[in-house]
Amino acid sequence: MTQPIATLENCRYCLMCRHVDPLSHVTFDEALTPHGIALTIASQKRGLIDWDDATIELVFSELDNDNARAHCVTDQPFSDAVAAIKAELVEAGRMPPAVRKMQEQLETHGSAFGNETFATESVRSDVGLFVSDEAHTLRPGAVEAAEKLLGALGHNPAKVGGGRNSGLLATSLGLTEVARKHARALLDEVEAAGATRIVVLGPGDRFALTGVLSERLGMPLPEGIQVVELSELLAEALQNDALDLDTTDAPGPFAYVDPTFAVRAPDRHDHPRHLLQSVWGEPPLELFWRRERAHPVGSGAIRFVRPDIAAKLTDARLEDASTRGAEIVVSDDPATLWQLEMRAEAHGLQVQGLFELLAERLS
Amino acid sequence: MTGIRDAMVYSELEEIVGQEHITAAEPQRLVYSTDWFWLPQMWLDRGEELRKPDAIVHPATVGEISEIMKVANTHRVPVIPWGGGSGSQGGGVPLYGGILLDTKRLNRILEIDQKSLTVTAQAGINGTQLEWALNEKDLTLPHYPASANCATLGGYLAPRGSGTISTKYGKAEDLVLSMEVVLPSGDVIRTPKVPNHAAGPDYMRLFLGSEGTLGIITEATMQVDYQPETRRFRALLFEDLGKAIEAGRQIVTKRLDPTVIRLYDRNSTVTQVKRVLGYEYEGAYMVIGFDGDADISALQEAKAMEICTELGAQDLGSEPGEAWWNHRYDFYYPPQTLMLPWMYGTVETVSTYENIERLYWAEKKAVESTYADWDVEYIAHFSHWFHWGTMSYSRFIVKSPPEDAREALQLHNRIWNTAMTAVIENGGMVNEHHGVGLKLSRFMRRQHGAAWPMLEGIKNTLDPNGIMNPGKVGFGAPK
Repeated sequence: MTQPIATLENCRYCLMCRHVDPLSHVTFDEALTPHGIALTIASQKRGLIDWDDATIELVFSELDNDNARAHCVTDQPFSDAVAAIKAELVEAGRMPPAVRKMQEQLETHGSAFGNETFATESVRSDVGLFVSDEAHTLRPGAVEAAEKLLGALGHNPAKVGGGRNSGLLATSLGLTEVARKHARALLDEVEAAGATRIVVLGPGDRFALTGVLSERLGMPLPEGIQVVELSELLAEALQNDALDLDTTDAPGPFAYVDPTFAVRAPDRHDHPRHLLQSVWGEPPLELFWRRERAHPVGSGAIRFVRPDIAAKLTDARLEDASTRGAEIVVSDDPATLWQLEMRAEAHGLQVQGLFELLAERLS
Repeated sequence: MTGIRDAMVYSELEEIVGQEHITAAEPQRLVYSTDWFWLPQMWLDRGEELRKPDAIVHPATVGEISEIMKVANTHRVPVIPWGGGSGSQGGGVPLYGGILLDTKRLNRILEIDQKSLTVTAQAGINGTQLEWALNEKDLTLPHYPASANCATLGGYLAPRGSGTISTKYGKAEDLVLSMEVVLPSGDVIRTPKVPNHAAGPDYMRLFLGSEGTLGIITEATMQVDYQPETRRFRALLFEDLGKAIEAGRQIVTKRLDPTVIRLYDRNSTVTQVKRVLGYEYEGAYMVIGFDGDADISALQEAKAMEICTELGAQDLGSEPGEAWWNHRYDFYYPPQTLMLPWMYGTVETVSTYENIERLYWAEKKAVESTYADWDVEYIAHFSHWFHWGTMSYSRFIVKSPPEDAREALQLHNRIWNTAMTAVIENGGMVNEHHGVGLKLSRFMRRQHGAAWPMLEGIKNTLDPNGIMNPGKVGFGAPK
């Protein structure tokens, strides 16, 4: 479990991750950098600032995307530390109205989006397909595509997760208890399915099932269970000639948008790019903020606490793609796609889901 | 802000930048009350209040900055320019409150001229982001300060910063061809964009080192280079620091054109180098580097190695040299950097080869002997080499300073007085590349002697109300 104070004491006067800090790149606000947030929290502990509305909102605006940690030589778990402080604030009843509303939503419905979760089927399979609320509600087509693609690889996956929140959003907002409740349900489902490998749709879910479960909630998956991104499985199958995809020209210049938490998984950067090249015959255009320095769209907790900043983050990615000459942006993570779709038209861009595209191209 | 005058100022500023780009919220005022100077950080660490800015503005255009200057002059309100907040001298600390003017929205690259090898960018652009953009065109801005990840282009120039490879490529001030500056009056000037000229005094230089006391740098054209075909490094160990300095002198004065010479004194080698790089060397650890054409740089390295071997150096091979290069910024990440609750300061200096070793020993002796009761540590490395001399990046560390903030401040200032007295009396300058800020302000009159009234005259002419970053660079309070 994170020792938040030690981390924040380290981060409060450190400026070394500023160059990859997405939040201050769109707000230009020193107080919204890791240094600024850490200094604010450290100063509250020293009696220099109160937990008033402005301070609480500042802390809850932390992006929780782990860019800071990914670029930290001493591996400071900054986002985990801030998440722990948020949890303390929630426990003390000090949270922004949007968080209180989300707490009720998650406790009542399990999903951050509407009230549609699903009961897991009694399918036993060594492969589980993790379906979060984002995938289930915002991008059901991606789930169908994932099932089809896994089928092409010879798997009949058991869906786990129930369309509930993955725990990432919940812990990002300090809602630890509801995250624990969902985590218990997930662990039960995984055990019931007998899955030894859980396939996720993006790096955010990968982090939810690894970092969030083990580091934030202290409820890791049972030993031996592997969490793997679908893009990795597919890229591997493609390389081994175990997957046939039809190739056609791309309908226009296209760019790939690395989803949130991609920065923490450098081994995953090539997979979606190889897959795109295999169906559209050429590699995607690269954004300036890509791969190890990828910046997220505003698809995380920020869209509930500060939707204005979330929109700026999304616009920045779309502008990045547009500047590079793209007409189409592609991504794999359901929430990233959802966020991109909300604002793409204004930038003259189309949005394409990677898995839907690949499923259409199965030979 | 409180009171009708403050409310008027805020309202006028809001009209200029828009509601979204001005704030007087407490978290922002707190965060912008300190830069990377140990003293204000310690002050907050001990739970003491700092003077905060009254408002923080984020202008997006030169026109907005010009208008802000006019408002500030009308109401005689201080203006503190702010880039990345990475200054170590307190140059960004709003000593008298006022308007903190964050330049980071001026972050566009305006032109990359691939024929003339220049980049023109707005001053608020982040250093590493600028470098990444240049790298995409196989170019580099050869100014690699440890603060690149957080500093802005304007922040490179305003305090006359040096980067890791300044020995070959020069300091930031040597790389700048032209600047746009907003004067305290609100007038905007632009210096000629030419390699050099003789059309009268070079007034651009006036703003290099002014740290926002004479105007605000809003745009700069910088000289860039092609990315080098190769970079090669070699590490050496010297028993004798003097011989190591002599080796550096010969490498530079024989025009072998090293990219970098990094020489750690014994104390630094056994503490810093061991802690960050893991090497357990006893002696003075030196890294030399060459870049550019592969054949030429190999020959340069071979010639340099001959000099070092002749002077008794042990060749440690290329691996410890490469490791230093790859991890050169790791020294600045907590918890392996110097950090609170320790007391520390970079009492760096620069002088001629004739003086520099004597100066190093004099400063070391003065600090260590005067503050032996505090178990003060003195460490140094020599990292920026010129044809005529080099700089000593010397630092003091007190691991158990007074807990009381005021007592800690007093000890801190006493150590600085001792160190700077040793520097000035031994032919050094009080600073080579970190700037003056608040920290060294009180030494400026002594450092510059008869020239100081001239500098004050220039300040009074350009900024008659003293609104620009008051209390810094030796200039006084607002009038």
